[in-house]
Amino acid sequence: MKKSSARIRKWTAIVMAGCLLALALAGCAKEGGKSGADMAQKGGDPPDKKIFTMLIDSNPTFPYKKDWPIWKWIEEKTGVSLRVQLPSGKLADTLNLVIASNNLPDLMFMTDRRTANKYGQQGALANILDYTDDMPNFKKWMEKYPEMVRQALSADGKLFMFPNEGFGETNRMIWMYREDVFAKHGLKPPATFDELYEAAKQLKTLYPDSYPFSFRFGEELGIFVNLAENFETGGDIYYHFGSKEWEYGPIQDNYKKLVEAMHRMYKDGLIPPDWLSIQTKQWQDIVSTNKAFITVDYISRIDFFNIPLRKDDPSFNLAFMEPPAGWAGAKQFNPYLHTLETGLTVASTSSHITDVMKYMDFFYSEEARVIASWGKEGETFTTEGGTRKFKADFADAVDLRSKTGIATNGAYTWIDYDSQLALASEDLQKAYEQARKFDAKLQPKPAFNEQETEVLALTGEAVKKHRSENIAKFILGTRPLSDWDQYVKEAENLGLQKLLDIYKQAYARAAELQLK
Amino acid sequence: MSLLRDDHERRICEIRHIRVRSDKNLLRKLNQTKYLWLLFLPCLLYYVVFKYAPMFGIVISFKDYNLFKGIQESAWVGWKYYRMFFENPDFMKLMRNTLLLGVYNLAFGFPAPIVLAVLLNEVKHSFFKRFVQTVSYLPHFISNVVVASMVVMFLSPTGGILHELLKWFGAANANVMMEPEWFRTVYVASEIWQHAGWETIIYLAALTTIDPVLYEAADMDGAGRFRKLWHVTLPGIRPTIIILLILNIGKVLEIGFEKVFLLYNPATYETADIIGTYVYRVGLVQGNYSYATAIDLFMGIISLIFVIAANTISRRVGNTSIW
Repeated sequence: MKKSSARIRKWTAIVMAGCLLALALAGCAKEGGKSGADMAQKGGDPPDKKIFTMLIDSNPTFPYKKDWPIWKWIEEKTGVSLRVQLPSGKLADTLNLVIASNNLPDLMFMTDRRTANKYGQQGALANILDYTDDMPNFKKWMEKYPEMVRQALSADGKLFMFPNEGFGETNRMIWMYREDVFAKHGLKPPATFDELYEAAKQLKTLYPDSYPFSFRFGEELGIFVNLAENFETGGDIYYHFGSKEWEYGPIQDNYKKLVEAMHRMYKDGLIPPDWLSIQTKQWQDIVSTNKAFITVDYISRIDFFNIPLRKDDPSFNLAFMEPPAGWAGAKQFNPYLHTLETGLTVASTSSHITDVMKYMDFFYSEEARVIASWGKEGETFTTEGGTRKFKADFADAVDLRSKTGIATNGAYTWIDYDSQLALASEDLQKAYEQARKFDAKLQPKPAFNEQETEVLALTGEAVKKHRSENIAKFILGTRPLSDWDQYVKEAENLGLQKLLDIYKQAYARAAELQLK
Repeated sequence: MSLLRDDHERRICEIRHIRVRSDKNLLRKLNQTKYLWLLFLPCLLYYVVFKYAPMFGIVISFKDYNLFKGIQESAWVGWKYYRMFFENPDFMKLMRNTLLLGVYNLAFGFPAPIVLAVLLNEVKHSFFKRFVQTVSYLPHFISNVVVASMVVMFLSPTGGILHELLKWFGAANANVMMEPEWFRTVYVASEIWQHAGWETIIYLAALTTIDPVLYEAADMDGAGRFRKLWHVTLPGIRPTIIILLILNIGKVLEIGFEKVFLLYNPATYETADIIGTYVYRVGLVQGNYSYATAIDLFMGIISLIFVIAANTISRRVGNTSIW
């Protein structure tokens, strides 16, 4: 599960509800956009001037601009100028519309691999692997990052979405604690969950209206993806690297220990009583008003809280915390969540697929990596003694993106993350350094075929609902933990084995796929 | 015998004659009312283009819908998706939750605007009346997303206003959003808050049509305020109430999915998970449009049965009906 936007997704997904009707209408709706084919022109000057159409999602924090210098730099190198279409409303709806109306832009941005694989298998997208002979840079890149390519393959071994590397770091999630508050009371950052309980308990006595351990991903138990790692289990179905088997975390004994620990904290008021429904805004409020001292969230939250709050309280210091072990001696890991599943796809209906592929090939060159991460030498950055430095015009990463278009949708695949770090505060840079020591292994994500997807949708949804509902009850205490064995049986009766078999089968199939 | 046949033939002739005459009548009537028809045309077109034409989309519930290939080219799968829905282990629970939430919403939500309208009708101070009306309309224009967000925040035990209020009344530590027993109350209450004011409009309009003579006559007979309310006001708006009730019965299952979706969480699934939210989780999130359409069509048919039943009962019992 991608938690990066669990909350946002829930709120925005509402709009998707209208989708059914929109789809029914899709048959008659025709988008006015012209396909790139009509506009492609051949010029004599190298590199050839070409125009492609591209559908991308625009981020409200740094909305798409046509005159961003990044597009100019890309055009200088490739000769390609892009006619960008932005979704009218939600990207997912617009994708449905363009695909249903068979009027596809050459390049389409998609926010997850499953969508790309679905449309790819339905025939709407070109298989990138069929064109690698025209893509020397990408070929080399595939040898360098075989895992990144493997993760992106569809069930039948095709590649529909351009893989990326480097930018996933933004999705890194860590434990954080209020270093200043802990120091003030002579507390030690907890190394195990027992110590976490003790520390939280002490803080609760010192600050009676606080909820020392607060987090905002309670909804659908998203937070358990992080916490399960501390107890050497998984938040859902996961691959156990030791036994080389697919296993279901929420019925394991280790997971039960986690539930017990959370129940104890809930009972003593150490986590917010409404942890299941708490909203991002509420969570931000309690963190910034000395009502929460330990949290789990995206690493960038360090700057998000520290920079503005230090204006009033210079000692405010939210800092990296080592992930507490479930029990003394358990492994200390954060789950490997810092990957990015978004990317561009190429329409199978495009009349110049090869040209588009050649264009995308550019993004896998060292030269493009520098442009995509740093911009243009002299204009945005300078090189001093072998290290690149941004010019002083950019306050932070968001400022860089909104001024230049660097690292915005459709403008990168391969990123040198040092460029983003160069704009981060020292605290954040330090946190990155520490966080990297606690990475769990990247979970494999096998792609499923249509039949498997259907079983996963129905049985998987039943199992997931049963898990969320009951784990929530165990923690709230409305179902006694003595019912655990009964709960495990219920989950098994819902068809858990069927799901595990599908994962196993898909994983074995993915392992057999050979990269060309 | 022959007499009988003659009679029979004569009758047939009469019927034919009438039919010819009525055909002519129809044409003449059409001609007479052509401008009215012209005025009606945009409305008709709207319904044909946006309501009837898309209905053909339900065919995807019998097909394995492939977005790229289109409806035509997708393969037929028969009743597969309907079977999938009925065989789902949660089917009964989902139906029960949907029905109960809908019935509660109707039972408490339907009378609310009537009570409010009657109360407003009794207010003599016209400025105060208009002020209350305007204020009570407002929540109707707030989007569900915002309302749900407000509900969650107000009821939050970590600093919610309503929670403080409940505590003050002695309901210590009510963790309302986490308790399945509370979900329906919260949902129905927020629906009433949001829509009761707006829905009074139609009743207030109906109230103005009551002949003042009736009130004067009641006064003459010595009726007090409650007598007048009971014998004049309520019977006066009875047809409106019944027609709206029939329409609302048809909507019992059409619970606004988004609000439930925004208000529920795993702890309240037990009472809050309805068909709409289930469709969202398996249909839209997983991109299974055929399945979602199948469920939607099934629900549509049940709603249709509800409306027809309610209408029939009302026609038999009270002589008021939509058709």
